[in-house]
Amino acid sequence: MGKFVIRRAAQAIMVVIAATMLLFLGLFVLGDPFASTGDKVVPPATQAILREKFGMDQSVPMQYLTYLGNLFTGDLGIDLNQRRPVADMLGVALPNSARLALIAIIIDIVIGVAAGIIAAVWRYSVWDVLVTILTTLAIGLPTFVIGVWLRQTVSGFWIFPQVPRTFTELAPWYTEVLLPAFTLAIVDAAFIARLMRGSMLEVLRADYIRTARAKGLGERTVIMKHAFRNSIIPVVTYIGISIGVLLGGAIITETIFQYNGIGFLLYRSILQQNQPVIMAIVTYAVLAYVALSMIVDILYAYLDPRIRLS
Amino acid sequence: MRKKAWLRTAAGLTAAALVLTACSQKENTGTSENEGASTPSAGWPETAVPELKEGKKGGTFQLAITEPTAIDPYNAQESEGILVATQLFVGLTTVTYDGKTEPGVADDWETNDDCTEWTFNLKTGTKFHNGEEVNSESFKRGWERVAAKDSASEVAYHLDGIEGFDEMQAGTATALSGVDASDPAKLVVKLTDPNCEFYIRTSHTVFSPMPSTAGSPATNTAFVDQPIGNGPFMMDGPWQHDVGIKLKRFDDYTVQDPAYLDTVEITIAPNGSQDEYAGFQNGTFDWARMPTPVLQQARSTYEPQGQWITRNTNGMNYLLTMVTQKPLDSAKARKAISLAIDRDSIINGVFKGSQTPSTSLIPPVFTEAYQEGVCGDCHYDLDEAKKLAKEAGLTEGTELTFQFNVDAGHEEWCAAVKDQLETNLGLTVNMNGVQFTDLLNNEQQPGASGIYRAAWGADYPTPGNFLEPLLSTGAIGAEDNEPVTGDNRGRYSNKKFDDLLADALKEKDDAKRITLYQQAEKIAIGDDQALIPLWNRTQHRLANTKDFINVRMDFHEDPDLRVISTK
Amino acid sequence: MTTTPDPADTTTSAQSVIVESAHADPFAPPEGETKGKTKARGQLADIWRRFKRNKLAMVGLVVVGILIVLALVQPFISPYDPYDQNLLNTLASPGGDHIMGTDALGRDLYSGLLYGLKLALLVGVSTMLGSMFVGVALGALAGYRGRFSDGIIMRVTDIFLAFPYLIGALLVVRTFGSGVTQVIIALVVLGWPTAARLMRGQMLALRESEYVEAARSIGASDWRIVTRHIMPNAIQPVFIYSFTSIGVAVVAMASLAYLGVGVPPDTPEWGRLINQGIEQVQVPGKDYLWIFPSLAICITTLAFAFVADGLRDALDPKLR
Repeated sequence: MGKFVIRRAAQAIMVVIAATMLLFLGLFVLGDPFASTGDKVVPPATQAILREKFGMDQSVPMQYLTYLGNLFTGDLGIDLNQRRPVADMLGVALPNSARLALIAIIIDIVIGVAAGIIAAVWRYSVWDVLVTILTTLAIGLPTFVIGVWLRQTVSGFWIFPQVPRTFTELAPWYTEVLLPAFTLAIVDAAFIARLMRGSMLEVLRADYIRTARAKGLGERTVIMKHAFRNSIIPVVTYIGISIGVLLGGAIITETIFQYNGIGFLLYRSILQQNQPVIMAIVTYAVLAYVALSMIVDILYAYLDPRIRLS
Repeated sequence: MRKKAWLRTAAGLTAAALVLTACSQKENTGTSENEGASTPSAGWPETAVPELKEGKKGGTFQLAITEPTAIDPYNAQESEGILVATQLFVGLTTVTYDGKTEPGVADDWETNDDCTEWTFNLKTGTKFHNGEEVNSESFKRGWERVAAKDSASEVAYHLDGIEGFDEMQAGTATALSGVDASDPAKLVVKLTDPNCEFYIRTSHTVFSPMPSTAGSPATNTAFVDQPIGNGPFMMDGPWQHDVGIKLKRFDDYTVQDPAYLDTVEITIAPNGSQDEYAGFQNGTFDWARMPTPVLQQARSTYEPQGQWITRNTNGMNYLLTMVTQKPLDSAKARKAISLAIDRDSIINGVFKGSQTPSTSLIPPVFTEAYQEGVCGDCHYDLDEAKKLAKEAGLTEGTELTFQFNVDAGHEEWCAAVKDQLETNLGLTVNMNGVQFTDLLNNEQQPGASGIYRAAWGADYPTPGNFLEPLLSTGAIGAEDNEPVTGDNRGRYSNKKFDDLLADALKEKDDAKRITLYQQAEKIAIGDDQALIPLWNRTQHRLANTKDFINVRMDFHEDPDLRVISTK
Repeated sequence: MTTTPDPADTTTSAQSVIVESAHADPFAPPEGETKGKTKARGQLADIWRRFKRNKLAMVGLVVVGILIVLALVQPFISPYDPYDQNLLNTLASPGGDHIMGTDALGRDLYSGLLYGLKLALLVGVSTMLGSMFVGVALGALAGYRGRFSDGIIMRVTDIFLAFPYLIGALLVVRTFGSGVTQVIIALVVLGWPTAARLMRGQMLALRESEYVEAARSIGASDWRIVTRHIMPNAIQPVFIYSFTSIGVAVVAMASLAYLGVGVPPDTPEWGRLINQGIEQVQVPGKDYLWIFPSLAICITTLAFAFVADGLRDALDPKLR
């Protein structure tokens, strides 16, 4: 087991380094961040000063090494636009994104698992058909379109005020987060429902369920205790991965709802060519993704001994 | 047979879809039924500026902006940053809402014969928000803070021309040798070149004084987010990034009349003008910009209520033309392009009539220098356009590069310009939307040709701030085979024009100077068509005149907060 | 079981990030399961028989058929030139001469949507073919050769999968400039790893099978074994998976365009049309500007999803 973990961790580190290097080179394609202010060019002398200030007068490999070094000490640098520490900016945006991800996951699990169990237990019932139709629709519709529709129709009503407030007036926490969370949750919930249904059906066919029933256990006990626990594993894997994806920032959803998380911050930073912020967020997203898929793999290996033996 | 049922259905549906759509392409003509879209002349008139009335202390004014780059004058650059910086700081001179330069901290000023040495006599007893007195040393400190290499200010170039500036930028000096503050009540400034308009420049926020606690912006970042200034308002707590900025009245303000409002709450709205408009509609904000599509309906709702402001401001929208490269290397070719653009129909179709077509480079806001019609070919004349195009060799199928920056709302009118040039002159327009920095980079390249979307706004209220940076030879800043480093990316160069500008800077008499500027504009725009003016920068605002009086738009297109008062 | 699935293969596909969920994985048929089910003859007929039973999938197939026909005949049925502006008739409501109204430049929205359909299908199909081609080649190499090339190729897919999709797409598009081809390149660059992994899994399963063993024993070359014996069996699931990526690519292009990246700004592309329509959101009665293009996206992606769904069920009857 230990050997597997080490091998997997080494892979993960390699992936992170390669991905950040790729990004670092790629960012130079974005263009010169110091070329202009508004419609006016920045004089060459000022551009040189700015490059020196932000360490961009160095060669690219040197800059990358500096970035890696700073990363290890937790220094994310300062942003090119407002010259604030990038760590401060992430400090505001990350909790917002985490909250969005958390609420989305909760919606996912509640709706997805419940729908999946209902559909499996009452197979071929009206409910099953309904779940099949709804999940098919949810999976087929792009998140991006769902987001736009929710923003254009639901927002503005009831607890979703679309109209801006002054910043001195505190809004209830849910007004901002619910719609994007719901947008993010719809597709995942549909997948979880399907996974849950399929996995549950398979488990319900298993011998030990028949045994449990034969022993005279109540249907409720059979389903909740035996079937549920055994059928949830693929769902857990899926949830693990989707947490990773969600924590990586939902750039489109956050941008559609102008939600102040890292996805929207990333979008704005790309528009501003704010390279330190882009680097920091993408590094973080890669880390989150790699770490979570590693954890999932290790969990898998733990649950299924065949994997770690290979 | 049943097996093929689905196939038949598919075929049937396809056929139905085919029938539903017409068989041949129609000509996209015909006018819309909704009124206003085809009004004959473009442009909405300016609204009346309210007479200032005596106000009373109190009240909170609400508005929204997008997140600025900086509110500290050392790096405040866009309208939003300048809005806040202008409330927090007041310099030697100030600009009135209509572009006149008035005394600020300086009571008056004088200059030597060749305008290379300026002496500003300061008001005594004016204070910073922390009680520190504002004197000549405060200004020297503020300017040096901007010029210092460590500060890496992106707007430091405004100080260019002050003796010692280059050394400070290079990091070889720590003080501006040309600024003398030995007398607390007198600031003496030496310039490297004559500039009889220098006092106008000092109205820019970058010339603000700084208290001794300011320190360097590179190290004292707390000050950058909560600057202590000498303006009519002071910070009420630090800038909450992406959230808001709160200002309160500075009661010891003696440079001008103090403000009436108790507080100003500036909400940072990510969605920009859409949020501002929605917020105005529901009574949240007292001042709002609007997205272009809603202008027409907003005007019809709010203008009758007196809550609408339209003003021509100190900006110009134009097409940059590459005057040294084919196909636009002749004035005739550029004039043909200008004549082939139907500004009125674009303004009515795309802007719903909210802009005014332009016939000059210097916008009408400069009432003394404005020459209506100095661009004799800034109107739609198809016959003349075709004639000139033929003479200039702009034949059918000539390729013309046309670039603009994306995501800034230019897509539609640029597409319209392309369409008109193709339809009217038969050109092949290679239109390309690129990121702004790419646009800039493409314009700077030695071989660049064609037309580019451009706009310019003056930093200080003088016509020279349009002519010099955009069209003078010096503003190319490069040889023919090098990328342009200045703002004259069209590489227009005319000795006579340059001489007139140089003469203007040496001319102490305001009226004579303006005449020189007008002559220069006549050469560059009227004769040479060095660039193609499209429409003036016209700004529209919603203003809550139900609860407030004296609401007017200042020179930077922001509300003039100092004079606003509750009813 | 000599070839257990690589745990890394449970990771999500890159495309899923664009829809901001990790959903592509359940699409992928579990590796190893296809092993032994390759009965060579009659498999296609079998799949078709099962596919036909799925009504939703049949509906999807019909719609996909119609969409393809519409895209092919677009130049002949488009009522107007989609680029043709009429500044005297901007934002006309649906009805009359323009059944879906006109946009802010007076261009006919219906013609624009048809043009967008052509673009969407072009990008979708090209992306699918491109990703499949690259993915199959590299996946086969990794799976058959194993060892060194396997390690390298799989680590490269790791990197690509870990890389945030949108940033990747954006950088690729920025590198090559905006345009349809550039968008396709970007989507292929980010889409091939999933196909490669699937192919590799197939190869791993098949290279140990008895008939390959048999071919090897009579001295067939590697090239011959791979192209003649393994490929025909391995490629079907990859192809069917790739089919699902058409819908993903359509959405990806629209999402990119919505964010202002990709096709030139004046192109009547669905994402751009939605974006431009939303600018008019505060003008009453102009909702059709974003509703029509978003409906077009929904119909297209749903149709492809239904077909893909049916294909998957047909391929793997165990799931039913």
